[in-house]
Amino acid sequence: MKSFKRLVYPYLVWAFILIVIPMFIILFYAFSKEGNSVLIVNITLENFVRFFSDELFADVLIRSLILAVITTIICILIGYPAAYFMAQLTEKRQAVMVLLVTAPQLINMLVRTYAWRGILLNTGLPASVKVYIGMVYNFLPFMILQIYTSLSKMDKSLINAAYDLGCDKKKAFLTVTLPLSVPGIISGITLVFLPAVSSFFIPKLLGGGSYVLVGNLIENYFVTTGDWNFGSAISLVMAVVILISMYVTRKFDYDKEAK
Amino acid sequence: MAKKLIEFRNIVKEFDGQIVLKGINLDIYENEFVTLLGPSGCGKTTLLRILGGFLEQDEGHVYLDGEEISKVPAYKRPINTVFQKYALFPHLNVFDNVAFGLKIKKMPKDLIEPKVNRMLQLVGLDGFQERDVTLLSGGQQQRVAIARALVNEPDVLLLDEPLSALDAKLRKEMQQELKRIQQEVGITFIFVTHDQEEALTMSDKIVVMKDGFIEQYGTPTEIYNEPSNEYVANFIGDSNIINGTMIKDYQVHFDDKNFACVDFGFKENEPVDVVIRPEDIEIKGRGKGKLNGQVISCLFKGVHYEIIVETKRGASKTITLHVVADRDVENKEANEKMHATSFTMDIEDVAELTDAEIIARANAQAWNSSTEEDISITEVINNIKPEAGKYDVTFRTEAGSSITIYVNVAVPRVNTNDENIGIQAFDIYKSVEEIKESMAISVDLITWADAYAWNLDSEDAVEIDDVRFDFDPNEIEEGEYEVTFTTLGREYKVHSTDSRNEGDAVSIDFTKNDIHVMQKRIVK
Repeated sequence: MKSFKRLVYPYLVWAFILIVIPMFIILFYAFSKEGNSVLIVNITLENFVRFFSDELFADVLIRSLILAVITTIICILIGYPAAYFMAQLTEKRQAVMVLLVTAPQLINMLVRTYAWRGILLNTGLPASVKVYIGMVYNFLPFMILQIYTSLSKMDKSLINAAYDLGCDKKKAFLTVTLPLSVPGIISGITLVFLPAVSSFFIPKLLGGGSYVLVGNLIENYFVTTGDWNFGSAISLVMAVVILISMYVTRKFDYDKEAK
Repeated sequence: MAKKLIEFRNIVKEFDGQIVLKGINLDIYENEFVTLLGPSGCGKTTLLRILGGFLEQDEGHVYLDGEEISKVPAYKRPINTVFQKYALFPHLNVFDNVAFGLKIKKMPKDLIEPKVNRMLQLVGLDGFQERDVTLLSGGQQQRVAIARALVNEPDVLLLDEPLSALDAKLRKEMQQELKRIQQEVGITFIFVTHDQEEALTMSDKIVVMKDGFIEQYGTPTEIYNEPSNEYVANFIGDSNIINGTMIKDYQVHFDDKNFACVDFGFKENEPVDVVIRPEDIEIKGRGKGKLNGQVISCLFKGVHYEIIVETKRGASKTITLHVVADRDVENKEANEKMHATSFTMDIEDVAELTDAEIIARANAQAWNSSTEEDISITEVINNIKPEAGKYDVTFRTEAGSSITIYVNVAVPRVNTNDENIGIQAFDIYKSVEEIKESMAISVDLITWADAYAWNLDSEDAVEIDDVRFDFDPNEIEEGEYEVTFTTLGREYKVHSTDSRNEGDAVSIDFTKNDIHVMQKRIVK
């Protein structure tokens, strides 16, 4: 076992160079101003003050959160029945279904989104609806797979036990199946909410320029304006918002289990 | 007489074209502890699941309290189940697991609590209310599962091999515990197991099942003392089962003697199986019992000794093992060495003899003297004919090295015994080295001697049970040794508290009450 431990070293080096250092760079940028050089470093909170003093930015942030939350909820509502249905199938058919669900992921996300743009172009739907369609389409498989995994791992005799103890099908689902699949839903939320809240090209492609989200904002400051300091500050705010929402979800999960 | 609670009528169940239950008829009475006993795949769990409502039979009816319940869904049946792996709800604690059924029935909270607590007390888990079920031991989970089922006050409790996941000591404990609980709550328990001891200790009635049929249904003492056929006798406890013939009522013939017995109602001269339980046989001095014999083995089993007494020898054949010098032939020019030994063979096998077989039987080998690398034997020169006699055989390699041995073609002499078992074997020629290298000398001796035993009437092969020789394979030297092959004779297993020495001349004794005559099992 001991010798296997060393196999983790390449990853540690990788993580340090490509994750830890860039994080510090973002931190550094967020708390400093333009015109830094090796000799002069301007530490400032200006970027954050700017973000929170302008209502426009707060609006964008809230809009992004709402988009992510609603996308996640739609994914649960569509994904749960699909996953439940899959878990009831024979093993062979389950494998086919898993393949069907994952197959679209083999195509690049950008390509798929462009395809949607073409499909939705002349439908006359409002921009927000188009964005939701694209978001749900892209993130649904993650939700389905997470819920499906937790359902298929579940001991089938538990359902029989519920019938045995007087549950009809509906009650057995509400009192046994659903509570036991909560961990699957939670990890599904994690996998959908996180990328949804910071996605930028789906809203950009499907919503046109009119639908600005935090992701677009960050992209804008980094790529178009070149204001890396402000871009980094927005990223940092986002990261904090995500961390808080993750903490809340987890908390919810633990409460369920403790009960 | 107790009231009939459950009636199975002609239950047939098929899975993917395989018939698992072949027409089960069974009555179960109130307050009984009934065990469905049988090997895996006999249909016992299927029958239980049909009663529980988790499966529907293809044919037949199930009545509970006189009412047909086949169409009643599981959750409406007054029946609860303890599942094989307990199936406790991992998201609920002990209290909520037990309270589950009552909560579903919308019983008021103030009534649920005392009921659950009383039930936990009954199974010995008072104080465990708040525990996480996933952190309990196997035995504790088992108790929770029982409490969870019983708290609903079912008419019948079904237990599907509930003790199979527990270790031996805990199993014993839970067996007594289950029996106690059943007597305390006074409802019918239907228990499924493949463990005959478990069935005998706990049950009021045992249902012995095999291949979708009920072989016997009765109390443990009935099943043990009067098994209805060979299968039941073998499955329940240890037994001696002997082929016999029913001469007339109260008289049975086996092992060349007539014995008085208490059984009747068979046809005259009907072939039967006779059962005598090992603990019913007494060992006495030679001539003092019913059958004379010899002690073959005596094993200490804890409470008693298990003694095997042979009353009839099997067929035996003695041959000579010629241990010869190891003569490796060396061809210095080609730097090769060769080796082979003479052998004896059955005249009947000559027709099918191939070169490869001659090489194998003679253990002919050739190898490079310096590198020890094996070299192929390319030529086998022989003129073996299907006539008794000695024939020279020469093995040759590509480089021209050769070795000559002889093959003895012989007509087998068959020895027979009174049971019409024949046995034959041939003399063996082997080198010291070959015998020392043997990993399992008894098995090798049978192969080398081509020893074979069979029933002269039915032509069926009979196992050679005993190989006796008077040498130590590790210390053997050149010379001639005797090897005797013997088939299994008539053996009786006896349980006794006194030990006996191997080889003792004894006799075995039993009374007419110890003899139980059974109908031959008809393979359905």
